[in-house]
Amino acid sequence: MTYFLGILQTIGIHTLLGLSAYLLLLTGQLSLAQVGFFAIGAYLSGIFTVIFGFHIVPALLFGALVAAFFACLVGFPALRVKGLMLVVATIAFSEMVRLFFFNLNWRVMVGGQEVGPDSTQGFREIRYYAANGWSEIEVVSFIWFFVILVMAVFWWLDKVRVGSVLRAVGADELAAQSSGINLTLVKVAAMTGGGLVAGLGGGLYAHSVTYVDHNTFTILLATFAVAYPILGGTSTVFGTLIAVILLQGVMIEGFRFMGDYRNILFGVLIIAAMNFRPQGLVDSNVIIAMRRFLFWKSKKTKEAESNA
Amino acid sequence: MNFDYIDLIQSLMDGILFGSIYAIIGLGFTLIFGAMHKLNMTYAAASIGGAYVGIAIVSLIGAPLLVFIVGPIASGLIGLAVYYLCFRFMPTSNQLAPLMASIGGLFFIDELIIHETNGSPISFPGIFPDAFFEFGEFGVRGDLIFIAAVSFVLMGVLLFLVYKTKLGLATRAVSQHPIASQLCGIPTHKTNATTFVIAGVLGGFAGCLAASTVGVLSPLLTLPLTVKGLIVTVIGGLGSIPGAIIAGFLIGGLENLFLLVRGVNERDIYVFLVLFLFLFFRPNGIFSSTIDRD
Amino acid sequence: MLRVENLAKYFGGVKAVDGLEFEVKKGEVFGLIGPNGSGKSTTVNLICGVFPQTKGSITLDGVNLTKLRPDQRVSAGVARTFQNIRLFGDLTVWQNLWVSWRDDEDTKGSVFSNWFSLSGNRRQKIQEVLDFSSLGHRADDLARNLSFGEQRRLELARAYATKPKMILLDEPAAGMNSEEVQDLRKRILTLKEMGTTVLLVEHVMELVMNVTDRITVLNFGKEIAHGTPTEIQQNQKVQEAYFGSPENAGQLDHA
Repeated sequence: MTYFLGILQTIGIHTLLGLSAYLLLLTGQLSLAQVGFFAIGAYLSGIFTVIFGFHIVPALLFGALVAAFFACLVGFPALRVKGLMLVVATIAFSEMVRLFFFNLNWRVMVGGQEVGPDSTQGFREIRYYAANGWSEIEVVSFIWFFVILVMAVFWWLDKVRVGSVLRAVGADELAAQSSGINLTLVKVAAMTGGGLVAGLGGGLYAHSVTYVDHNTFTILLATFAVAYPILGGTSTVFGTLIAVILLQGVMIEGFRFMGDYRNILFGVLIIAAMNFRPQGLVDSNVIIAMRRFLFWKSKKTKEAESNA
Repeated sequence: MNFDYIDLIQSLMDGILFGSIYAIIGLGFTLIFGAMHKLNMTYAAASIGGAYVGIAIVSLIGAPLLVFIVGPIASGLIGLAVYYLCFRFMPTSNQLAPLMASIGGLFFIDELIIHETNGSPISFPGIFPDAFFEFGEFGVRGDLIFIAAVSFVLMGVLLFLVYKTKLGLATRAVSQHPIASQLCGIPTHKTNATTFVIAGVLGGFAGCLAASTVGVLSPLLTLPLTVKGLIVTVIGGLGSIPGAIIAGFLIGGLENLFLLVRGVNERDIYVFLVLFLFLFFRPNGIFSSTIDRD
Repeated sequence: MLRVENLAKYFGGVKAVDGLEFEVKKGEVFGLIGPNGSGKSTTVNLICGVFPQTKGSITLDGVNLTKLRPDQRVSAGVARTFQNIRLFGDLTVWQNLWVSWRDDEDTKGSVFSNWFSLSGNRRQKIQEVLDFSSLGHRADDLARNLSFGEQRRLELARAYATKPKMILLDEPAAGMNSEEVQDLRKRILTLKEMGTTVLLVEHVMELVMNVTDRITVLNFGKEIAHGTPTEIQQNQKVQEAYFGSPENAGQLDHA
């Protein structure tokens, strides 16, 4: 049971990571900064619960807001220029964040114990859940509450004008501009929203694993963040969720026996997917097919009921 | 702060000499961007990967210095493979797919190396490892001079190729208008493939030279080379050959300066700040190569 | 409405536009024609802000457009269609319109309602525009699945959705048959009736000569003639530009 709950935790957090890249990917921009915002959320919310004794909810929210603030800050210069430069700028940003936390040393005595981020040793004592008597199921539900919340918000965004504007920018920037859309504003907004979600995910992650250090927040993780929506398909939020389930649930856990080969397979999988199904797993055709299937199913049920 | 201006100039000099390696990697990125308007994220990994293949082969025949020939050739071949796997068959409408695929290639090569070597570094032959020349207060390492010299030769060959040969002309034509070039009889795909091979060979030299400076070959080299190489390309101006060269020396020198002043843990933070400064004030780089067109 | 003064655009050594001057009066349909390479597309892109001009000024209803980005020019009142259709292919017809939609005076909404809801009679108004473009029944279809003619109509509707003072049509009749050209002619005249100024860049003479009030003819980035359609048809310089010499002029008018 613990094992299964552990997988649920991982899938939930990785879904948040993937969703944080989702908005910006809709506008056609690939950002490898999500892991930087993830790290900011992780360290900051940890600091708030451990050093300042905050309740976890305000700690999470504060971490997310600071991450969003930095996302906005990074976004403005980086999004004014070509998309490829954004890739470089975001790589540099994420590495900067990682190095910053690598050097961060803020040890404080709290309740007779020394706690806090300890530069190369990492940040160990993030034991909020244990210290406050949260059961495993409560932790998992807490995480998934946020996952479902974010997914619902993003799903709703696609029903209102915002979603179409984001996708229009991703489809054709010149046409979007000529329709009166301020490209930079839209992209920075998408980046800020992504930063918020990433910061939230980072905070949840830190408290789940109780120990973070700079080694977690590498460019490889940033690649996972964008891989989920790209491999899953950006037509709908569910694509990202399915990609996380497949990659984390099936590949990482299911292929445990493959050992190191899993990581090599990851690279191969990405190359293969981009060659054979660049639009992702769940594209508009799949959605149409699913709708037809559900419609057909409900028709069958109604027929069965009326015949009975 | 216990260093004086002599230390400053010394570290600047060493840094600039080492920066020739960054210049070459930056050149590789910029060549491919110039040809296809795409970034090949696998590039630095392919360069290091080629060095590994080189070591593997020369250790079989027992002629360690041959690695400087075999390595670049291997990198060129890997570059060709990357072209076919990540760029050749991509629809032009999808900008993200080749980028993502090449990121996949980066991690594939990285993880493959880690897997094959169990993550431990391999010793790499140095060139003139003990040579050291003194000029009054300053000293210059022999191997750094050699690296800079080789790099200059490579840059010269590249400039000749791009500006004085038919291949270079074809590459420039394809980069400006792929369809028109095809209509003029230029084989677009072959030209781009050749660009990848040439860039790959260049990168292979850079990878070998970098490894010989530090004396070991390690998968830990790939990411820093990728990041620094990309920064050099962006600062120099995407697609600009002279830009990449100058930016390479600049970053090399600055990096060593930051190392002296702030130490190895913080050095890279300042290099990234330099990148952001450029993005803010001069986003098109030192030499922006294309006119401001959609 | 639109005033172009001393406009020039040099791409390196190539003078795509060289000292162009014309004026489009409010409410008229103004034609810009010329052989290929004469600088029409460049002029369109300059007016819409795709790239900055080398020299000269562009003023719309008194507002200097020079420093404005393309999306800011839309706010200033210019909208355009594209020569090669540039719809948002993966969005539905409805979404294509919704993305560009700007409210009239009577449906002004808050920023929030504009981005997040379809309140007021906005939904009804969008549907009206769709119906008028004969696309009402296709509202939920993806734009890339439309027929060529439908796509052209959607481009026009999308430009109109920004409630512009002036619409710039970039070769809208390219690839159309005679029937479609007549339909387009009617729609342009309807735009004129509603008070929208139209700048028409076009090759298809059947359309230009029958819908415009005045025309400027370009060649080599400069104006070589301007006047009413009738005057242009009889202008010797124009005939030379298109056919090389007056003898080859043949029948230019399809009136």
